[in-house]
Amino acid sequence: MNALADPRQAEAFRFVRCSHHGGTVELVYAYDDGPELIERIRFPAAPALPPAREPAFAAALHLLHWIAGISYYKAGIPGRILVEDALPDADTAGLLDELYRHGLAEFAYRNGLELGQRIAFPHDGRASAPAAALALPRRTLVPIGGGKDSLVAVEALKTLGGDATAVWVGHSPLIAQCAERTGLPTLNIGRELSPVLFEYNRMGAWNGHIPVTAVNSAILVLAALLYGFDAIAFANERSASAATLEYEGQEVNHQWSKGYAFEQRLHEWLHRHVATDLDYFSLLRPFAELGVTRAFARLGGEYFDAFSSCNRNFRIRGPRPADRWCGQCPKCHFVFLALAPFLPKPRLLAIFGRNLLDDETQSVGFDALMEYRDHKPFECVGEGDEARAAMYALSLRPEWREDALVARFVREIGPQLDAGNLALEPWLEASGEHGIPARLAGALDAIRDA
Amino acid sequence: MKFGGTSVAAAEGWRNIRDLAASRHAEGARVLLVVSALAGVTDALKALSAEPDADRRMAAARDVIDRHRTLAQRMDIALPGTVEDHARGLLALARDGQGDDPLAWRALVQAHGELLSSALGAAYLGAAGMATVWVDARECLHAVVQPNQNARTRMLSATVDARPDAALAARLAGQGEVFIAQGFIARDDEGRCVLLGRGGSDTSAAYFGALLQAARVEIWTDVAGMFSANPRQVPGARLLRQLDYEEAQEIATTGAKVLHPRCLSPLREPRVPLWIRDTHHPDLEGTAIGPQVREAAPSVKAISTRSGITLVSMESVGMWQQVGFLAEVFDAFRRHGLSVDLIGSAETNVTVSLDPTENLLDSDAVAALATDLAKICRVKVIAPCAAVTLVGRGMRGMLHQLSPVLAEFGQVRVHLISQSSNNLNLTFVVDEDVVDAMLPRLHELLVRAGSLRTDDAQLFGPSWQALYGGGEQDLAPTWWHGERARLLRLGEEQSPRYVYHLPTVQARVDALKRLSAVDHVHYAIKANPHARILHTVAAAGFGLECVSPGELAAAKSAAPEAARLFTPNFARRADYVAALDDGATVTLDALHPLAHWGELFRGRAVLLRVDLGRGLGHHQKVRTGGSGSKFGLPLDQLDAFLELARAHDVRVRGLHAHLGSGILDPGHWGEVYAQLAALAERVGSVEVLNIGGGLGVPAHPGEQPLDMAALDRVLTQVKAAYPQYRLWMEPGRFLVAEAGVLLARVTQDKRKGGQHYLGIDAGMHNLIRPALYEAWHEIVNLSRLDAQATELYQVVGPICETGDVLGSDRRLPASAEGDVMLIAQAGAYGAVMASHYNLREAADEIVIE
Repeated sequence: MNALADPRQAEAFRFVRCSHHGGTVELVYAYDDGPELIERIRFPAAPALPPAREPAFAAALHLLHWIAGISYYKAGIPGRILVEDALPDADTAGLLDELYRHGLAEFAYRNGLELGQRIAFPHDGRASAPAAALALPRRTLVPIGGGKDSLVAVEALKTLGGDATAVWVGHSPLIAQCAERTGLPTLNIGRELSPVLFEYNRMGAWNGHIPVTAVNSAILVLAALLYGFDAIAFANERSASAATLEYEGQEVNHQWSKGYAFEQRLHEWLHRHVATDLDYFSLLRPFAELGVTRAFARLGGEYFDAFSSCNRNFRIRGPRPADRWCGQCPKCHFVFLALAPFLPKPRLLAIFGRNLLDDETQSVGFDALMEYRDHKPFECVGEGDEARAAMYALSLRPEWREDALVARFVREIGPQLDAGNLALEPWLEASGEHGIPARLAGALDAIRDA
Repeated sequence: MKFGGTSVAAAEGWRNIRDLAASRHAEGARVLLVVSALAGVTDALKALSAEPDADRRMAAARDVIDRHRTLAQRMDIALPGTVEDHARGLLALARDGQGDDPLAWRALVQAHGELLSSALGAAYLGAAGMATVWVDARECLHAVVQPNQNARTRMLSATVDARPDAALAARLAGQGEVFIAQGFIARDDEGRCVLLGRGGSDTSAAYFGALLQAARVEIWTDVAGMFSANPRQVPGARLLRQLDYEEAQEIATTGAKVLHPRCLSPLREPRVPLWIRDTHHPDLEGTAIGPQVREAAPSVKAISTRSGITLVSMESVGMWQQVGFLAEVFDAFRRHGLSVDLIGSAETNVTVSLDPTENLLDSDAVAALATDLAKICRVKVIAPCAAVTLVGRGMRGMLHQLSPVLAEFGQVRVHLISQSSNNLNLTFVVDEDVVDAMLPRLHELLVRAGSLRTDDAQLFGPSWQALYGGGEQDLAPTWWHGERARLLRLGEEQSPRYVYHLPTVQARVDALKRLSAVDHVHYAIKANPHARILHTVAAAGFGLECVSPGELAAAKSAAPEAARLFTPNFARRADYVAALDDGATVTLDALHPLAHWGELFRGRAVLLRVDLGRGLGHHQKVRTGGSGSKFGLPLDQLDAFLELARAHDVRVRGLHAHLGSGILDPGHWGEVYAQLAALAERVGSVEVLNIGGGLGVPAHPGEQPLDMAALDRVLTQVKAAYPQYRLWMEPGRFLVAEAGVLLARVTQDKRKGGQHYLGIDAGMHNLIRPALYEAWHEIVNLSRLDAQATELYQVVGPICETGDVLGSDRRLPASAEGDVMLIAQAGAYGAVMASHYNLREAADEIVIE
């Protein structure tokens, strides 16, 4: 391990090669002449790839190689990026530059780094031949994460009665339990990071947030081609597109790869390079967080004692609320606040096992959600206006308004706000653009009318 | 004798029932068996009766019937005609649907579970050579209408007239010796079949017992009886051998699930005893519930909890002396269908508790209630809460013994305290999330304080752990029993004197080495830095954990080769300099060292001690005031710490947290370990997780030793989830406590104010733990080890402090000046915490092999 060189001192990050064999994908990277960093993705019970889908699969495999490299690239962020197996075309290099710059913006901000012109994928200057339709089966892959959003998407899809499979990447007992509750067929894709990355981390390599939704999206594109699905239905809301803050003239958005810009970019790229009949979109795109939590309060009863949006990684499953909700992180704060207007109070408190809004020590966390004296946290949470609207709704409710933080809002924060902007209802409406294909458009009604 | 759904669902269970009934019959009793439906059948019938589709109802009915057919095959009997009759009845009901009396139809459908099981049972017992009369419970149990019942509860949760019925007794006596009847069902005035609701079969047995004025009612179930706490929360909970009706009712009402509270009231007036017995251990004496026990020491009998409680607190300046305020308040609860349990009131505040019901959780009842109440007062809804209840007859007379328990409640938010007007319970309503961690501790405190008299074998039986938890680990006689002659010699030679037994240290070392999940152990030498002990521990490959330059020097001198870990708290800059020069691994637990002396650590690797704060049971104490939490970096400063580390090129190589001490529940380390691991994932450089020490050593009789195998299982489970981290532990007391004893000799004897004092020449200057922590150390008279313990002594030392008491209320043989006394478990925090207060000399320290 002493022989390892610090990636922060490296000159170049190399995309060495990628391959697929019998359901196992290998993605290989390296720093300078350092050891190979090999990531493996395992598709369980993978069928043989139909020959007609081979070119599409090859294109998607390269994209995954380039996108998943972000986990390793960020350890050293050297000045040069070398792509050794096949150069991307100009369109693809543009997508990757955008993803790396925006997706690592928070990482750069937190580490005090200047990414600027470092990120520039080489390309061969040519345009690729346009992709064709592959006659993919009309089936939907629904990635689930154990949180409320994907479960709302699942329940909405179930109302349409189509063929759908719940899919997740990596080992997670919590997600497995939620997946089982959906009653849908399930697919659990394995992902093993290179152990060398952990060695680098121990040496003090750069570390921080990466746009993991982009990596998962690229993995699911391979799954769609391998198993035969024509739709990948994520569950990202409208609010995912809103920036967390601005730094060095660039917007920093913790959830950039969950935003609409990336969704459209990848969707169009897939139509140009992979298959014109493979749709990548988010079912919740027209909704704000509050619209989704409202739908979850009505559709999610099956999951109340199983789901969790908490960002602490609970590897060990337990029966108590404290085994799923840490109660301290912005996700816990936000989901608690956003569900509160839509669930009977005793039910909500039973889900969390405690009352976060009657705990004065949590005031800083809730202030940040409301962007009161602080910026929005680096988490997948709703907009400050939404949090304020939810809090305002609670302040009008006798069963909530004496709780410590609601009372504080009534006393201290509310009077500084314009009550005209605090209504809950506008947040419940569907609005704005989305990329949902016509076959699944009915899901929007199911969510809105839940 | 009542048998539940699990017993009657298997052929093996029926063989058991036959043997038990035969044994009672052989004692000369007539036996009436009351049976439940086969496990799962009542639920299936409930689902059937809610099914609108006739075909699906028929299919469900056929499934139920098939289960009985299969059971008959396993019993090796033909399906009796009586079962066929009930099966046809059920199919007809399923086909026809609910008709014009839906409630009656539902009741009759569900009654078929018991009708089928009892008919099958009668046939089996007859075939097995025991002539058994099948009795229709509906011919015996007559429902009476209660004033508070509606049509639904009259049908599905009926109450039966339980006055003794001599005619029924005579009628049955004329028919035979052994009878079988159905639980759960009765008949109303209109001749309809009604149900008894939850706990129905136990209640049926109680009704039969009362009607027939039985010698006793036996409830046969899968556990021996009621326990002093819920064994799932407190494995050391003791079996309750004797309870009076009121106590048992109170325990059942406040949380115990083994018996439904309503099945006791029919038995109280006719004074029919009720026994609870374990089907799997028929010889084990379970709980006997009967009339009040005379001449028993007052004792808390149990500590129970109920979760999911919602409190409604109402505040109004206007309520003081205002006529009708409370009437208005309670009317609002009635209107919204919410039932009030506990009540606390003050001049300007009334707080009440609501029991959990689905109605409460999933309807808007609470919101609507709050809206109504808000018109007349300020209202606050507090949840989720749990009620922790101490149960025992004469609770008010025991208050003086409860101070350690009250101190424990002082660490958490107590929302409401209620002392029941029948003087049987004392209830504390607290936040629900603190209860799991708190309950074992409260149980232990009650035992230690002498308010739960586990020493009274008439009242308390074995622990749940001993009965069901894989058996009480055999407590080998302690080493000093075998070394008595030598110790007597040593004590007579000079006293007071500490003696350390190295083979016992070695045994604890070996126990730790068997923890396969632990990669490295550091001995916390503060517990006992005696050179021979350090040498023994280091020889096993353990490192030494030090907290001061003095300890570092002691460690280096006794075992230069052992790895040294420096984990100080609020140490000076110079101490860190010394530790770094020494080559020790340094643990930091504040921002200050890096913020002000960052250059000292440049290029080095450190461990970081964090305070995991809330979310972990044991750390709830930190919530109020934060006293006792000078240790560890609060998590909200973690990012700042990492930034400082980056700025000074310091690598955070490991994370450390320490729970506290004397912990006997393996689950706690699993939680700390998992929390640290989850945290470590945010800090890329971490290689090591140090989960500290605190491995408990049982002190009090009846306390279970830490289950090391269970601890290893818990740790291994976490390790499997986070294989990338090496696991360290740093036990102290665990290694040495039992290896050491303090020998002292009796100085004087004195009686004063009803107390009998026994003076010895060791005091709080030698061993401060009893005075400082109220620690309990076993004390024996080594000179008269085999003599009968007749005297109740306060064992005191020579120091001019009222607190110089080494043991209070100790039952010992009558002792005389010069006797050698032994104070056990003095190997940890004994000599090392000694002082020369009163200018008394220190005890010397002897090591024996």
